[in-house]
Order: sequence, then structure tokens, then C-alpha cells
Amino acid sequence: MSDADIKDAVENEYVEDGSNKLLVKCKFCGSKILERKSGKFVRKEIDLPLMEQDKRVEAKVQYEKIYQFFFVENMYTFENIGFTHTIDNCKYLSCADCDAGPVGYYDMDTKHSYVALSRVKHE
Amino acid sequence: MAKTYDYLFKLLLIGDSGVGKTSILFRFSEDAFNISFISTIGIDFKIRTIDLDGKKVKLQIWDTAGQERFRTITTAYYRGSMGIMLVYDVTNEKSFENIKNWIRNIEENASADVEKMILGNKCDLDSKRQVSKERGEQLAVEYQIKFVETSAKDSLNVEYAFYTLARDIKAKMEKKQEASNPPGARGGTHQLKSNDQQRKPPSWLSRCSIL
Repeated sequence: MSDADIKDAVENEYVEDGSNKLLVKCKFCGSKILERKSGKFVRKEIDLPLMEQDKRVEAKVQYEKIYQFFFVENMYTFENIGFTHTIDNCKYLSCADCDAGPVGYYDMDTKHSYVALSRVKHE
Repeated sequence: MAKTYDYLFKLLLIGDSGVGKTSILFRFSEDAFNISFISTIGIDFKIRTIDLDGKKVKLQIWDTAGQERFRTITTAYYRGSMGIMLVYDVTNEKSFENIKNWIRNIEENASADVEKMILGNKCDLDSKRQVSKERGEQLAVEYQIKFVETSAKDSLNVEYAFYTLARDIKAKMEKKQEASNPPGARGGTHQLKSNDQQRKPPSWLSRCSIL
């Protein structure tokens, strides 16, 4: 299967009518992040810091490219979520219960949030 | 999209440095991952959704850690806050004595009708205790504020404290709404409430960027 096929498969499984088909939860503790149909699916290329940083690589944040997000216009749409302090005009999103993250980011200019599909559990 | 909640409350955690305000908000346990990117940056605030008597209530909880070195919390932080958790450390006498100063700071800077609650944190560290539970209770009685001892480490009473503060804010708001509406006009009460909420969030949200 090519990368494009995998992407399509993800979208077919988790996206319905342009928004999240299932509940969005924390991968680690299951804390509810978004209700069904409350995030709009968008494709966007963003470098997001890895959830687990390798301690051996000191003072250097490791990133990965993420392409699929649920867009959340108003932060109060979230059921449970944490916002980090601001870095480079952005706040990172984390689980409100176990603090795992980043599960996405919040743009300080637009006040919009983006949840990475690959960083959460869909149920 | 239609609004999916009934109430939105902004809450603050206030108290001396080191009393565990951040631990109340941030429950990351070190053994869960290698090293967390999130723990190095720190949490600014959290949004939590709770159910209070069938109403969906969104809590936006702010940590004031880092601000307290200025001895006072700036007016900008207090703006729009409806509830304040005053936190001291039961193993630190000074932090307990300073609760009075924090209350004064709130009276000078926050809205007059802000709901308050006193938390005696780190109650798991009983061998190092400097402030008895009775003294905490006395202080609370003196100021007519609710009080509970908590342990952020053991997650003891933390959730209870947030529910209690949120329930008190909700009760106060409902009382105000009833007072401003004749008893017969129940339909009007609801309408006023929803208008009120649509107006409120942007008022301090728009200031979020300057914090």
C-alpha cells in the first residue's frame, strides 16, 4: 500500500461528512477530547514535536511531519484538553488527564486548533 | 456550530510559589514516557467539561505559576475569572500565612463577586506538616470561604474541589438570573442566559494573546 492509500484508508475510517466520525480520545488514558462531529477534517503539512523525545539528543526538539488534522474553530468545543505556554505564536495541545502530547496545536493569531489524527484514539 | 454547553467558567489557581498549583493542573507522571515535550514547556491552562445537575459546564482552569514572584497577580489574569482556588502547602507555614495577602490581592484586583475556595495542598506529606487542618478550617470560617485539604500527588480531593467551586459559581449565577427576572418569566431566563454566554467568552478570549 502506498502512503496515499494509507492516508485514504485513515480518512475513510475516521472522517464522515467532512468531520470526525468517532469520539476523539487520548491514546494513552482514553480521556475524551472531542465529541463526534465537532472537528472538521483538514489536510495540512505541519511539523509537530514528537510526543516522546529521545533524551540522548539533548537540547534539540525532534519533530515529525503530520498531514491530517481535525480543525476546531472554538477552543470551548473541546471536552478536555490542555494548552501549553506559547512558543513561536503557538500553543501545543495535550491530554487534560495524563498530559500526553502534543496531540495538536493552537494558532495564537487565528485562535484555531488542530488535532492530529495520528496522535489520538478514535472510538 | 451551535454552542454545545450551558456554562463556561474561568477559574484561577493562586498561591505562593511551590505550593503545588502546577501539580494540581499538571498530572504528568514521569514514568509514563521517556521525556515529555509537554512537561518541558508547561501547561498554561486546561479546558475540562463536567456535568453539574444535568448541565454541561466548561471549566477553563489557569495556572498562575511564574506570576507569583511579582507578589501580586496582574489584573489581566483576574479579568473575567469567576472562581479562584487559593492554594497553600500544609508543610509550609509561610504559604499559609500568605493566603491572607492573596485574598487582599484578589479583593483589590478581581471582580467583587468572584467565588473562592482554599486548598491546603500536599496533605499526603503528614510527617512534614506545619499547618494543621483545624487552622485551615478556621481561616476559611474567618473569610467565609470553603476549604478542603488536597493531595495533587494522590489526586485526593482535587476533582471534588473543582466540582464544589463550579457548583457554587453556578448557584450564584442562577440566583442572580432569578433576581433579575420575575419568577413567572422562566422562558426569559433561558434566553438571557444564552445571550450572556455568547457575549462573555470573547471578552477575555480576545485578551488571551497579550497574556
